[in-house]
Amino acid sequence: MKRNTFFAFASPSILVMLLLMVVPLLMALWLAMQYMTFRNITAPEFVGLRNYIEILDDPLFWRSFNFTALYIAIVVPSWVVIGFIIALFLDQVSGLVRGVYLSIFLLPFIIVPVIGTIMFKQLWEPSGLLTWIYQQLTGARFRVNETSVKTLIIIFGIWYVTPFTIVVYFAGLQTLPAEMIEAASIDGASRLQKIRHIVIPYVSSLTVFILLFSIMDSYRVFDSVFVLSELNPQFKADTVMTYTFLTAMQFQRLGKSNAMAILTVIGIMVVLVPFLYLMYKEQIAER
Amino acid sequence: MDRVNSSAGRVFVHIVLVIFAVYSLAPFFWTTLQSFKTFKDAFSRVPIFIFQPTWKNYQEVWIRSLPEAGSSVGYFILMAAVIITCLMLFARYIPVKSTWIYIGGLIGYGLLLWAIPQLVYMQKYYKYFINTIIVTVFTILTSISIGCLAGYALARYAGMAAVVILIAALAFRALPRLAFVLPYFWIGSLTNLLDTHILVIIALVAVNQPFTIWMLRSFFMDVPKDLEESAMVDGANRLTSFLHVIVPVAWPGIISTALFTLLLAYNEFLLVRVLTQTNWTLPVAISRYTGAEDPAQLTLAAAASVSATIPIIVVILFFQKHLVKGLSAGAVKG
Repeated sequence: MKRNTFFAFASPSILVMLLLMVVPLLMALWLAMQYMTFRNITAPEFVGLRNYIEILDDPLFWRSFNFTALYIAIVVPSWVVIGFIIALFLDQVSGLVRGVYLSIFLLPFIIVPVIGTIMFKQLWEPSGLLTWIYQQLTGARFRVNETSVKTLIIIFGIWYVTPFTIVVYFAGLQTLPAEMIEAASIDGASRLQKIRHIVIPYVSSLTVFILLFSIMDSYRVFDSVFVLSELNPQFKADTVMTYTFLTAMQFQRLGKSNAMAILTVIGIMVVLVPFLYLMYKEQIAER
Repeated sequence: MDRVNSSAGRVFVHIVLVIFAVYSLAPFFWTTLQSFKTFKDAFSRVPIFIFQPTWKNYQEVWIRSLPEAGSSVGYFILMAAVIITCLMLFARYIPVKSTWIYIGGLIGYGLLLWAIPQLVYMQKYYKYFINTIIVTVFTILTSISIGCLAGYALARYAGMAAVVILIAALAFRALPRLAFVLPYFWIGSLTNLLDTHILVIIALVAVNQPFTIWMLRSFFMDVPKDLEESAMVDGANRLTSFLHVIVPVAWPGIISTALFTLLLAYNEFLLVRVLTQTNWTLPVAISRYTGAEDPAQLTLAAAASVSATIPIIVVILFFQKHLVKGLSAGAVKG
């Protein structure tokens, strides 16, 4: 394909991305340096880097940052471990049974995240099923407080993304050459040894892919935290994203929230740049 | 991996899978139960599993007041929906070109959706449902048509420009929506576009474009190059050969991508929440039920959630093949 034809075909899409992604990002950089509320939206006041300084001094921001870090630290390894284990079990069945299990497992990932969160929340209402089971098991009442809301947010995070890692590992296991396993069986390796020494190294590139994607995705998690943290409205169970949203929509500090969004972009870039470099090398190699 | 052969091992495998299935389904199961309960049953401290089911919650979510001839209007609407669905399901066996039947069926659904509020006095929730459909349909149409052109170009062009665009798209995909949404909000409030469908659709097309072109590119890569080359030898230009030769071959992949675009548009919460004040889509409308302190909303929220999930489950049942294909294509190819 010639260069001109390429640009003729790709130009609508390139234009959309330039006008609606690159330009807004530059705008966000500019907005982040303004003092702007809903009242002076047409006449913002230039304050330079003061928004950034204010954020770095904001204890609520650091609280949300710490919770985001905790969320990533618990959720991402759980996705990888649970996803891998369930994919191994799913690999043991075949045919229609496998299809049925797979469809059921995929459900949490397919439905609207907000609705999934609301359904999950129903289990923990005062009249909910899990509230009751919790009471029977521990003898204590289930109370809504900072710790329990945070726990629910984390459990939900694990619940609704694990299907994705299951599918990725499952698709990877389908390509595992049978000879490798047979050779190990002849050598008398036990099942656990085979998993440890053959399967895990074989899927390691997928693990890297999942880790990179899930760190970035869990960094910007919004919908579920937004719905669940309404249970605890004292801004104690916020992640960076929901706190940014509240800063914009509730405290009406549009400039400050843009500055927070820019900080998040920088944070994600730290993980993203090595990944982009990998993809770049892969793309060059393909040509 | 080789199979576990001992019967104890097989049982263990199924026990684990069943437990995981229960874990996956528990919220759906409980919410569906709650949505059919009366207020009193739903608030029982000890969970009730056997109760007299009621449609009242669903009715309250959707319908403001029933017309005089309540049941006959209901039957008429239901029959019309069933007839259209059957026509489309069995389009293959009807001696008219299937495409026309599908188009007719979609128009029929459209007319039906338009007719319902004329016959029955519906709740606001119906308006949000229509909003969701409008936003989703237009997002799919725009995003897939410009995405197909770009995806095809990216699959065929070997120059550096293609690499740069692909990598940039990947970077945009990973960035948080909020970084884009706040400037959109600012533009929207300056241009009075806030709370319109157009702004939401444009924003959705934009933020999903990187994902769309990557996925479509991977499907166009699978189409052999000889196809369009032979068409072009016969005198067709790039665009005609693309539309008449490539698109039909890549059609299943395009459907897969459209399905994911549908899910992304239907699921979108943050964008719609920020860019609209009254013209909500379903996810935002539902989240309003739970924000309220009124405990009576509990069963309504359940009924609203279940009814908003049904369309998605229907779509998934129809296009299950495409869904798994898309997920594993994205996964294996990265």
